[in-house]
Amino acid sequence: MKTSSGGAGGGRPSSSSAPTYSWAPTTSVSASGKRIHREMVELNNDPPPHCSAGPKGDNLYHWIATIIGPPGTAYQGGIFFLDIIFPSDYPFNPPQVVFKTRIYHCNVGTDGHVSLGMLKDGWSPALTITKVLTAIRSLLTNPDPYNAVVPGIAHLYLENKAKHDLVAGEWTARFAK
Amino acid sequence: MVSEDQKRSPRNQKYPATEGNGQSQNLNDAVFSPRFKSAAAMAGWDEEALLLASLVVEDTPDRDFKHKKRSVLNSKTPPTNSRRKRRAQSSPESIRVAVLDLDEEDTPRKDSGKKTKEKKATVNEESKEGGKESGVAALPCIDKLRDELSCAICLEICFEPSTTPCGHSFCKKCLRSAADKCGKKCPKCRQLIGNGRSCTVNTVLWNTIQLLFPQEVEARKAAGAINSRQQSKCLSPEAAFYNNLRNGESTTTRGGVSTRRSSGRAAAITDQEARRLQGVRSRRGITPATQTEDAAIALRLQREEFMQAFRGTQEQHHSSRSSSVDLARENLRAMASRAMSLRIRDRRF
Repeated sequence: MKTSSGGAGGGRPSSSSAPTYSWAPTTSVSASGKRIHREMVELNNDPPPHCSAGPKGDNLYHWIATIIGPPGTAYQGGIFFLDIIFPSDYPFNPPQVVFKTRIYHCNVGTDGHVSLGMLKDGWSPALTITKVLTAIRSLLTNPDPYNAVVPGIAHLYLENKAKHDLVAGEWTARFAK
Repeated sequence: MVSEDQKRSPRNQKYPATEGNGQSQNLNDAVFSPRFKSAAAMAGWDEEALLLASLVVEDTPDRDFKHKKRSVLNSKTPPTNSRRKRRAQSSPESIRVAVLDLDEEDTPRKDSGKKTKEKKATVNEESKEGGKESGVAALPCIDKLRDELSCAICLEICFEPSTTPCGHSFCKKCLRSAADKCGKKCPKCRQLIGNGRSCTVNTVLWNTIQLLFPQEVEARKAAGAINSRQQSKCLSPEAAFYNNLRNGESTTTRGGVSTRRSSGRAAAITDQEARRLQGVRSRRGITPATQTEDAAIALRLQREEFMQAFRGTQEQHHSSRSSSVDLARENLRAMASRAMSLRIRDRRF
């Protein structure tokens, strides 16, 4: 579900208030904007399997992404939408990734925030959205109950995986299809 | 072997022509490999030119020899040496014919040889040769090279690459800001990186990149210049004003071709302007003009000129527009004087 990307790099954070700014070059974008644009191009050229991402509107710093539930898991067949918000000093700070589709997962909070080391202290500027999406997808395959944000789901996952999968499958059918 | 004979044939044809200087020939045998000599013979270089070339490249690694050989094999003109060219032109006709005959059968074989040699060579050497030679685009592995040589932080070709102790390279600026904002760890492998090391440019890599991707590097340099200007904008309102002016300057000069045509009247006006400003300065007892002020004045001159030209073209069709141009000019003037007074106030405090 790519929103109209079309190279519309409209996200220029620099303000243009003074009248003399009209002479300022319009081609220069901030370093973060450039990097995000480049990631967008690379994502379009070589999309990761079962994932897609692109700017939501004309704001380069606000993306929407989809992950297709990996087959063989409780999330199979579901299409999960995520919001990605890039900080202005990206890539030196991690992007904020939020599940917009409800998901029964011990590492995804009720508000949709993903608890993933990569998106917190484990962030590195060499990581890209492609890698983040791949990591989230592998988190769907292998939940990490020991670093859970929803302890109840983590407990169920550890004690009765069959039941956990059943509930997760119900949620997937209800919210993600 | 056929190829051996082919290689030797130009020499055999050539030696009778240059038999006179047997001494230098002996010397050459010690200095040059037979392969090189056959290639040189194909290009029509005589022994003296070869000796001269050997003196020139004596202290450079053999990659230069390779380069020379290859450029000959590709049947391009030899490196820009007028003397060599002259010799090549004056060489006997028989050699020319031999070269043409050889080219048809021999070049494909040698090309494949060249490719294997390239594979053996390190990435750096390969890329350097590629840069010196015909087109960078001619390199088959240019996309891979682009991936290899791009910075993982900005995802562009490394600009002034700096290599961490763990062996990963990033743009110097990128690495420095990563160390500032994300801790002193390698962005790729999270190994600790020292402080001092992160500031040195890996010169070999940087030269390689400059040879391989000259356009990208140039674009980056230009962008860097603009960015640094924009960053300095935030310093103070006054600095912002002058920086703005200078930014404008860079863009207005682009359209300078049309502005040049404007009448001398604009120049006269702007001259007056400059003198007026000077007068203001001296009257208020301000220290002599600094560079930024001069730049600002220069820009104003240009801008006036531009306005003049703009008005000149507009007046023909819409005479009513000229008032708006006048308005803009007044605005500009007012802004300039405001900035001046700001500056003066700053000085006083």
